[in-house]
Amino acid sequence: MASSYPPPLEGSAEVKEGFLCPLCLKDLQSFYQLQDHYEEEHSGEERHVRGQIKSLVQKAKKAKDKLLKRDGEERNETSYESFYCGGVDPYMWEPQELGATKSHLDLFKKHRAERIDHYVIEVNKRLIRLEKLTSFDRTNMDAGKIRAMEKSVVAWVNDSDVPFCPDCGGKFNIRNRRHHCRLCGSIMCRKCMEYVPLPLAYKLTSGNRDGLSAPAGSPGQKESSGGSLVPSLPRRGSISSLSSVSSVLEERDDDRIRCCHHCMDTLLKRQEKLEEKDHVPDIVKLYEKLRLCMDKVNEKAPEYIRMAESLNAGETTYNLDTAGGLRMEVQKYYELIDALSKRILTLGLKEEPSPRPKTLQLQKMVRYSATLFVQEKLLGLMSLPTKDKYEELKEQRKEELERRLQQERQAQKRRSEVERSRPTPNTNGEVPTAARAPCMTKAGGWLPSSDTLHTRQLDDPLLQQIDNIQSFLRQARAAGRMDEATVLEENLRQLQDEYDLQQTSRAIELSKRQAEEESLQQEQLAHLELKERERGEWQEKEREGWEWREKEQGGGGGGEEEEQAAVEEEEDKTYTLARLSTSPPRAASIKSFPPLGESPPTASDQALSLNPFDDEDSTPVEEDASNPFAEDIQKEQRAAVANGRKEYNPFEEEEEEEEDGVETKKKTPVSGNPFEDDEDDGARHLFREAKASTPPEAAKNPFDEDEDDASAACEIIEEELLRQQIDNIRAYIFDAKQNGRADEVELLSENLRELQHTLQEQKRKAT
Amino acid sequence: MNVTLAVKQYVSKMIESSGPGMKVLLMDKETTSIVSVVYTQSEILQKEVYLFERIDSPNRDSMKHLKAICYLRPTKENVEHLIQELRRPKYSVYFIYFSNVISKSEVKALAEADEQEVVAEMQEFYGDFIAVNPHVFSLNLSGVARGRSWEPSMLGRTTQGLTSVLLALKKCPMIRYQLSSDMAKRLAESVKQIITKEYELFDFRKTEVPPLLLILDRNDDAITPLLNQWTYQAMVHELLGLNNNRIDLSRVPGISKDLREVVLSAENDEFYANNLYLNFGEIGTNIRNLMEDFQKKKPKDQQKLESISDMKAFVENYPQFKKMSGHVSKHVTVVGELSRLVSERCLMEVSEVEQELACQNDHSNAQQMVRRLLQHPRVCDLDAARLVMLYALRYEKHSNNILSSLMDDLQRKGVSERNRKMIQSVVEYGGKRVRGSDLITPTDAVAITKQFFKGLKGVENVYTQHQPLLHDTLDQLIKGRLKDSQFPYLGPSSLRDRPQDIIVFIIGGATYEEALAVYNLNRTMPGVRIVLGGTTIHNTTSFLEEVRSASSGGQSEHPQGMGRNPTRR
Repeated sequence: MASSYPPPLEGSAEVKEGFLCPLCLKDLQSFYQLQDHYEEEHSGEERHVRGQIKSLVQKAKKAKDKLLKRDGEERNETSYESFYCGGVDPYMWEPQELGATKSHLDLFKKHRAERIDHYVIEVNKRLIRLEKLTSFDRTNMDAGKIRAMEKSVVAWVNDSDVPFCPDCGGKFNIRNRRHHCRLCGSIMCRKCMEYVPLPLAYKLTSGNRDGLSAPAGSPGQKESSGGSLVPSLPRRGSISSLSSVSSVLEERDDDRIRCCHHCMDTLLKRQEKLEEKDHVPDIVKLYEKLRLCMDKVNEKAPEYIRMAESLNAGETTYNLDTAGGLRMEVQKYYELIDALSKRILTLGLKEEPSPRPKTLQLQKMVRYSATLFVQEKLLGLMSLPTKDKYEELKEQRKEELERRLQQERQAQKRRSEVERSRPTPNTNGEVPTAARAPCMTKAGGWLPSSDTLHTRQLDDPLLQQIDNIQSFLRQARAAGRMDEATVLEENLRQLQDEYDLQQTSRAIELSKRQAEEESLQQEQLAHLELKERERGEWQEKEREGWEWREKEQGGGGGGEEEEQAAVEEEEDKTYTLARLSTSPPRAASIKSFPPLGESPPTASDQALSLNPFDDEDSTPVEEDASNPFAEDIQKEQRAAVANGRKEYNPFEEEEEEEEDGVETKKKTPVSGNPFEDDEDDGARHLFREAKASTPPEAAKNPFDEDEDDASAACEIIEEELLRQQIDNIRAYIFDAKQNGRADEVELLSENLRELQHTLQEQKRKAT
Repeated sequence: MNVTLAVKQYVSKMIESSGPGMKVLLMDKETTSIVSVVYTQSEILQKEVYLFERIDSPNRDSMKHLKAICYLRPTKENVEHLIQELRRPKYSVYFIYFSNVISKSEVKALAEADEQEVVAEMQEFYGDFIAVNPHVFSLNLSGVARGRSWEPSMLGRTTQGLTSVLLALKKCPMIRYQLSSDMAKRLAESVKQIITKEYELFDFRKTEVPPLLLILDRNDDAITPLLNQWTYQAMVHELLGLNNNRIDLSRVPGISKDLREVVLSAENDEFYANNLYLNFGEIGTNIRNLMEDFQKKKPKDQQKLESISDMKAFVENYPQFKKMSGHVSKHVTVVGELSRLVSERCLMEVSEVEQELACQNDHSNAQQMVRRLLQHPRVCDLDAARLVMLYALRYEKHSNNILSSLMDDLQRKGVSERNRKMIQSVVEYGGKRVRGSDLITPTDAVAITKQFFKGLKGVENVYTQHQPLLHDTLDQLIKGRLKDSQFPYLGPSSLRDRPQDIIVFIIGGATYEEALAVYNLNRTMPGVRIVLGGTTIHNTTSFLEEVRSASSGGQSEHPQGMGRNPTRR
């Protein structure tokens, strides 16, 4: 899908995201690189920066509009004729709806209904006659009497009307005598005649006469005769015809009823239907079980994979034991599938009339598809980290977090310096926003209506925020996301309250601010010069840091004369930053941060990193204006996470990440505090302690407690790994056997043996 | 506008609506090809379809625990088979789908046969064509012409196929056709008639710019199917024969048993999908990379998996490795065979002359080159004959035509009478007299200057300088410059805007070179989607069969399907 997007930015074939240089759109792997790149390549271009940025903003906007339009269309599922721009590989043509169809079922049913009525009557007529024919005791009756009885059931066709057998066309004469069908009264020759054996007759009519006891045979007998009915019929006919050559007239129909083959056909069909009704073949039963297992696997496997991924990343969202249990469960289902399909494969092989080739083929195919299923799913089942590996992973992750924290702090420090220098106002603050606009849109979140950023009719950030939220709200409503809309509505209300409050305090502070401004400007100028000199030295830089840097550069270029508006604009800048960290689609840019799992902390970092900036602000006016704003940011952010989550569900990896985000959010006291008070090491220690203390508790493993006995624990883990490997290798042996690659089987089983050997040795050592 | 997807969606819809349980797919000969081109067996197995049966195969076992999905063309024979089937049902439930329009009387006949009430569904799903690529379809019909007009039965089938494409893509198009071809006109009228008759079916949501159906005749460009090809798909078809995306490799010397017949499907073979339209040289490089990649992954034969981490790595790579090994051996075999044939038949030299003949206008040079190659001992009869054919088509009216002496050369070379006769037939089929467009010598100023510039710039690759006529035709069509006098609209209305959705159909068969041209147009033209179709997809051999059957006035019937290259050893 991604590549079917139209190129939004001058021929760059795809929507780029990550650390793009805003000027040359070069993709740089990290913000450090980006910063270096920027300083090297574009430091001389500062004078043109503004113009370029303007065009970039416009381009981004255009792209955004296009993407938005597309999103809307996707939601309405009108992708078929959707908008189109630029040639595309036919393989990438967007999905289309099902082609035209036309149903004939109604017409078919109408015709069938007409016919069926007729057919059912015919069948029922025959059954009723059959019932009558079998209702008397044949064996003890005189042949003539039987004949009379039979004649009374149905009117026999006149002999003289039928000179030839209607089925074979043979002429009737003294040797080729006429025979009457007892069920419909028609005439045929001996050869074309068939017999209904009494057991069959009883069986067929048993539905019609529940009360009567079956005189001829017990139910068991019926079954057996019914089963062998078809093959035995002709034989019986031939024997009787041999014997009847001598005495045609003496022939007695003790245990059978003569009929034509049309009637016989109908009766046989009827019998088949009766049999099918309550007979479920073994293969069906087994197959149903097999499918049940497959459904279970389809249900559980993704859950397990999610867990395993999270655990392998060293996260603490899931418990290692639960994951292990789930793994066992899934594996059991695989074994069950394997066993069931094997049974299906060998079904009926040992029975006497060996199954027909097609039945065998069916069984083979079922087995094959089960094997494919197992192969595809089982082999995708990643293994869990062992206990100590897990600990290691967790440690790694913690270090990673630590490192990030460090970076944050440095960035903050730097930022506060920058803050003091107070760069001049500019539209440059928008640069990052503009450059990232496409990827934001790609994430599919709501966007503020596009003109708010650029035109700036509202000079109060809160008013803008309100405006933004209103536009989010509109979009959410348009998309029918009522849940999000309510969240947004609430936000809006809070914001409006805040705004009212602020307005009053503002009026009071306005005079104070005027006086302060003068001195502030002096300070800024001094700092600017200082910064220019220091520029080369900043090596480790945060994203925010870079953004600030950006602004500063812009400010250095043409900011001086705009200083008058500094304070006023400062608010806007704050706002821009806030938007960066708060706007829901942000998560898309989070994606580009190297360690995936860590994005949620980043989100909070950013919000928090704003706080110091606010705190350090020397002007009370500013403090007053921005503090409530910071609150607002956090609120927004929470909403953002919530929004983002809904948005992301389709993308699985992100779901993972989002869920994590929620997790972290729940633990706000834990994750929030250490970041906020960066001087307070105690809090962080607490955090670390908490982390360190959880695993033993959670694991509840007796071995883990005596941690000083490291070697023992190590071996145990080794053992687990071995077991897993053995499992895996078994799966491959099975697979290899399936495909008849003997050499591989050998190799594998040798490995298996070795492994088992090692395992046993280890066990011995352990005990 | 994706034909492969259209058929796939039809099939999966059929299977889905039959619910859970074991299923059998009951098809006829043609629907078997239709389904097998878009679905692999393992794909369809996952949808619980375990058996595939032909409706016309006798003595099918009764298996009452299976559900039957019938996908059939609504032919008389199929309906008759189905009636018999319903009288004595072998499966528990029947879901019946016809690939085209079925008459009410036949529905009635079927309904009356269904005494056991086993039919649960009866629908028309219009997948009555072979979806070769997402933008290419074929009807697998050969010998459609009898002289200069339709073989009667073929017109009906072609109309059915073409209308089913329109229905599957939900397009109710305006129709343009090639004026110089009577067959194109007949087909256009026939399609229009169906659209009028089944107006309810064709009642789709109107689009801003109506789609366009352009019907062409092969005889307008007889040169393209005579050229040797150098892109992967086209080359495989030219040299090995690609039938429903399958290649028969049984004649390749020393072929292993499981590679006798291989499937080349872009749907589930990544290497093929990526290299479909690349030329032979690029494929060579890519296949070497593939091999190297594979070598890296392949565990050494007796490599001991010493440590646990070794083992783990092996186990983790195993499935990938297995899948890869299938593709690797397949493509290595195919490419190996191609390169063997190329060197054996001196195809590089031959192709260079072919391209020279098709694209340049230098008679004396051309005649020398043809002469020289006819003397070459390793140039096979077919290649020799087709060089002369190309010469004959190209310099048909040239004042210093040396065709007769070339014919003598052919005879001396020992080319069979049959092949020599073909030269005359080809000229009759696609010579100047029958052509409606300026295939060879451009007449208008724009085209002349274009050719002039081309000459100035020089040629990038001598083996692929030829652009099929179709490319120019479509280019003009997209730019709104295609002349109404040559390609009139059927009916009074005409398109005012530039067309966006275009379906091109070539009577007498398309080629993979044209498929590539359409693919490139799709990729480069903004807002345009083109689907190419043909009565079949030709290589030289099958094209010559087509010409032969057309010129013999339909006296000799040729079986359907692709011809095999007779000269391959």
